[in-house]
Amino acid sequence: MAKLKYFLQESWLLLASSFCFGLLIAMTNTALSGRIEQNKAAKLNDLTKALLPGAEIFQPVEAEIQVERPDGAKEKAKIFEVLSGDKQRLGWSFNAHGTGFAGPVELVLAVDKDFQKIMGMNVLASSETPGFGDQIKSDYYRKQYAGAPAEQLTLAKSGDPTVADAQIVAITGATVSSQAVVEIVNTFLTQIKSQMQEKGLIANDNQ
Amino acid sequence: MTTSDSSTSGLYSKVLFTGIWRENPTFRLMIGMCPPLAVTTAVKPALTMGLSVIFVLICSNLVVSLMRKILKPHLRIIMFTVTIATFVTICDLFLKAYLPKMSEILGAYVPLIIVNCIIIFRAEACASKSGPVVSILDGLGMGVGFTLALCILSAVRELLATGHVFDIPVMPTAFVPWLALQMPVGAFVTLGLILGLINVLTRKRTVSEEELEAAAVQPMAEPQQPATA
Repeated sequence: MAKLKYFLQESWLLLASSFCFGLLIAMTNTALSGRIEQNKAAKLNDLTKALLPGAEIFQPVEAEIQVERPDGAKEKAKIFEVLSGDKQRLGWSFNAHGTGFAGPVELVLAVDKDFQKIMGMNVLASSETPGFGDQIKSDYYRKQYAGAPAEQLTLAKSGDPTVADAQIVAITGATVSSQAVVEIVNTFLTQIKSQMQEKGLIANDNQ
Repeated sequence: MTTSDSSTSGLYSKVLFTGIWRENPTFRLMIGMCPPLAVTTAVKPALTMGLSVIFVLICSNLVVSLMRKILKPHLRIIMFTVTIATFVTICDLFLKAYLPKMSEILGAYVPLIIVNCIIIFRAEACASKSGPVVSILDGLGMGVGFTLALCILSAVRELLATGHVFDIPVMPTAFVPWLALQMPVGAFVTLGLILGLINVLTRKRTVSEEELEAAAVQPMAEPQQPATA
């Protein structure tokens, strides 16, 4: 009992201020989270437009498509059907995320209308090391995804990054970040593809 | 400085200007050197960073100053950190909501303000010993000094690396951009040259003071010279 009293005597200020500060952050977050989400959505649309030229309409896919991440966590994938101004289907886009070298990495991927080819990849958010890991945002790295087949990708230490194939050449000095992006893409791409085929949203290329 | 009124305002302006020039955190104290090297590729992000630091510095100085009498000495560092982390998180949320582009460019450097030693240094050296008004002015002075340093560095780097300042083209079209200044090496070189320039400027003044002193001593020495000759 005396110990508890001593503990409270010493730390009451820390406990009380942690509570107040926590409340303050929670209030700010509540007030601003809507706007932050809006900014993110706008950025996602802008990035997708850059990957799929002519994209105008982003229609959320209603079907329940579950993605299981490597750590076992399951979640509903956010997929959009991307249409042009005159309602022609240009392709699909979806969010993919996972853990990079320094923290969470969020990507947006665009695939063509039959889910055969990746149209492009862009980084929505990351906190990789400036100058090294954050080169996953560089054209050199990103361009390798455009034109790659929509199947399991592999990472290579060296090779020709200009050839559009399932082999992604790693960034020198940032193998972990390069590998992380490939794994995130693989996790989401293959699972979304197979489930969309099962649900008949796209043609099954095995038949 | 004779009446109490003018001495208070004299103290306030001294506190304010100490941080801006005499103890400028970047150019004179050389503390918190991560942002001056990392976010000074262009003026806009540097200014955003500086304003964020001013906000965090003033808020944390005020809160630390208000709780200085009930602060347990051995728990003070953790209290400073909790206070600073709170305001940095709030600042980060505001940037994400209202300046998403800047927030993206600054990336991890905004949360890193938590461990910026200028802020914890001012909490320890000033706010935990002074009243709220002095603490706020101290935070403002140090913050403005820091922001000015960031702006000077980034203006030089942006001008020479891209020919723009504040995204406005200023150089003639024939200007060949010095791309190296945009890279980390550019930050070190620019910082070193500016520090050297400041040292030269301040040394000149002390030299001329010495000359004045020597000149003041001379008349005493002169009459003795003919006597010895």
